Amino acid sequence: MSEKHLVDARGMSCPGPITKLVKTYRIAKNGDIIEVLATDPGFIPDVKAWIEKTGNELLELKEEAGVIRAVIKVTAKK
Amino acid sequence: MSGLAIIMFSGQAENFIPLAVLTQTAVNMNIPVRIFVTGTALPYFTKNKLEPRFSKEFEDMVPALMGGMKKLQMPSWYEILKEAKELGDVKIYACSLMAEVMGLKKEHLDEIVDDIVGAAFFMKESENMKVIFI
Repeated sequence: MSEKHLVDARGMSCPGPITKLVKTYRIAKNGDIIEVLATDPGFIPDVKAWIEKTGNELLELKEEAGVIRAVIKVTAKK
Repeated sequence: MSGLAIIMFSGQAENFIPLAVLTQTAVNMNIPVRIFVTGTALPYFTKNKLEPRFSKEFEDMVPALMGGMKKLQMPSWYEILKEAKELGDVKIYACSLMAEVMGLKKEHLDEIVDDIVGAAFFMKESENMKVIFI
């Protein structure tokens, strides 16, 4: 049964948002969805790099009213 | 990237920021990290919990940075390093030459230091890694 996780990294600066994402990722399973909220503009290239490095799936990456929202599907866990 | 090796030489507080941030970031990207603490950085890895001071250059920048840094509320370099060790493959070694010169043994060093090693050990550990000097 896949779960949905929310990672609220608003107000955090690099490397905070990715670190928070990774901590949730560690307990997530394949099929889970992780939604990350961030305000650090560096998060946009960072999350793309993280997705590429780890092989997970980026379903959505949008910015609205200064808040960046990334929706990630966990697919790369062994 | 098969690993990030950091030779931590500087005792200036501002240099501890990239040490901590790059280590944490490597961990986030599943990149192993090996840190070799030497030079003027070593005193800040003892059980004394000494805090490094900012350089004059950094202090001159401080008025512009202070407001920004206060807003961020970043954890300390030590907390970031400690957490990085818990989250990923990070080893911190103290330089045996510096340790000997300062009369330091393993029991004087902070718990985040894994061992006291020589340069040959570190060179072997990091031979396939990217090495940077901070």
